[in-house]
Amino acid sequence: MKWGMVIDLQKCTGCGECVAACKRENNVAIVEPKESAMGRTMLWMDMLTIYEGEYPRLRVRQIPRPCMHCDHPPCAKVCPVRATYINEEGIVAQIYPQCIGCRYCMAACPYTVKSFNWYKPEWSPGIRNTANPDVSVRPVGVVEKCTFCVHRRQKAKEQAKSEARELREDEYQPACAEGCPTGAIVFGDLENSRHRVNHLAHSPRATRLLEDLGTEPKVVYLKEGD
Amino acid sequence: MKKVWAFLKGCFVLMRKGSNIYYAWVTFLLVLMVIGTLAYINQLYSGLIVTAMRDQVSWGFYISNFTFLVGVAAAAVLLVIPAYVYKWKPIKEIAILGELLAVSAMVMCLLFVTVDLGRPDRFWHLIPKIGILNFPQSLLAWDVVVLNTYLILNFVIAGYMLYSLYYKREPNMKYVLPLLLFSIPAAISIHTVTAFLYNGLAARPFWNASILAPRFLASAFCSGPAFMILLFQVIRKWTNFEIKDEAVFKVAELIAYAMFINLFLLGAEVFKEYYSDTAHLAPMKYLYQGLNGHNDLVSFIWTATFFNVTAFLLFLIPQTRENFITLNIGSILIFIGVYIEKGMGLVVPGFVPDVLGDFYEYSPTGIELLVTIGIWATGLFVYTMLLRIAVPIMNGDFYVGEDGVHPYIGDQLFLVRRAAMHEKAPDLLSQ
Repeated sequence: MKWGMVIDLQKCTGCGECVAACKRENNVAIVEPKESAMGRTMLWMDMLTIYEGEYPRLRVRQIPRPCMHCDHPPCAKVCPVRATYINEEGIVAQIYPQCIGCRYCMAACPYTVKSFNWYKPEWSPGIRNTANPDVSVRPVGVVEKCTFCVHRRQKAKEQAKSEARELREDEYQPACAEGCPTGAIVFGDLENSRHRVNHLAHSPRATRLLEDLGTEPKVVYLKEGD
Repeated sequence: MKKVWAFLKGCFVLMRKGSNIYYAWVTFLLVLMVIGTLAYINQLYSGLIVTAMRDQVSWGFYISNFTFLVGVAAAAVLLVIPAYVYKWKPIKEIAILGELLAVSAMVMCLLFVTVDLGRPDRFWHLIPKIGILNFPQSLLAWDVVVLNTYLILNFVIAGYMLYSLYYKREPNMKYVLPLLLFSIPAAISIHTVTAFLYNGLAARPFWNASILAPRFLASAFCSGPAFMILLFQVIRKWTNFEIKDEAVFKVAELIAYAMFINLFLLGAEVFKEYYSDTAHLAPMKYLYQGLNGHNDLVSFIWTATFFNVTAFLLFLIPQTRENFITLNIGSILIFIGVYIEKGMGLVVPGFVPDVLGDFYEYSPTGIELLVTIGIWATGLFVYTMLLRIAVPIMNGDFYVGEDGVHPYIGDQLFLVRRAAMHEKAPDLLSQ
């Protein structure tokens, strides 16, 4: 079993719902505008905007960027205390109580997916009440990142187990995939031939970010046609 | 064991004695240490938000200082090799000063790493068996191992030698020599491992060059000895410890070779990046020319380059190398030059521009500067204290008394201006 994601850039409109859904689902701290302007915005799912060419031939690409959950994660290799590791289902996880905050993994990650808690996240009373009880909030001084909503896998797995059956594809979907209005984000088991990602990942349009680094990302992008 | 306690007690008695200048100097350092501690408490309380680091540039001034100081510590080996491999007497007399400098520099290194941690309260996760040290996979784990080994090694060697001298015994070279010889590869390893720490990251093209570790070593053998040349002159001017001119000049000569290799390797890297002109040129362009209007580091790196080349020429020509004015100018230039090159000039371009082409120009905040000053003061404080013990012992002014328990302290002042002492001495004799 190898969880993976396919993001079809042809279908993606760049609306940003995946970014918002992720932020709500995972209790990602809301950073003050001042700090945000200084580059301390915390997003597990980020929307990269790439400008190509100049006006009038300007072209803007929007690329949703979660953690790539690399099969050879550079971040897990460098962590001095094994706070970040790849689990048996291919999800790259971060153990917050183990992290010492050295930020070596941030230097090692080619996709800049890791966020550091530069200060103690503050939750206004209104927002605190809407927090997701399934996801722990992170303390100051640790690194955090996208987990493919691993808590949803946990729930779905337990449900399936109690009903003595296999986990179905649609039971475990991360918040971004669930929220995407155009269905551009597809999630599933890359090794299971009945899952849609398995087919899509072998599409001729399939590509991965910075493939030459040998990280073997499990997030696959489908290129835009012209 | 009782003897060790008596020795330590004697050392504490000794450390409390000194001239007014000694007291003033130590008080000055303590004040800076307190300021640094207060700044650090502020950082602990608010989080690393008080620094200028952020997700794009996640390492900054602290790690720059750390990298530079690992080099200073590694350079002690430049005294150990001539002293114990080639048995050259003028340097053998002062090799212990190099080992003590390595101890002080290692203390600073460990402090710099600690203040950079987001969760220093969890440092024990790095202790094998108690925590989970990701050894041998993580280079940071390697660094923890080699830095501590090197610190303990130098502390034990210097401590044992001084302890033996205190009890007026010849140090048993059967034990010391293997340790001394082991300290040579250990010194090389600390800087190699620190270079590999950066080197191994495929995501950062500026660091991911196989020439990085040799460059680290070459620059370390410049900056550390240059710092030592300056310290030696201060020591022989302000304490009554003799350091021969030829020892100083020999160290300067070694710097000239090391600086040549350093500049050559730098040239090799600049050529490769600029001639092949791939996307990986961007960080180097940012460093040397500025990129897309971002040019914070440009003036710094050219200053460093100019300083290093000038110092190389000063140290290459025997006339300027053996003239104390030009020698000191050269040492200061090298110290600053390498501090920029192996500090901010190395760490920041690793992150800028990031993989997505974003720029964030990092420059340290006031808190970062205060904490850094505090740590440097701590290092100098440690070195002063170690010298306070080592110098009188080596001069024969501090040894165990007749009763075998209480120490004899001949050198009550420690820090005094030498010139003044020399002038007074003949007067006293003539009366």
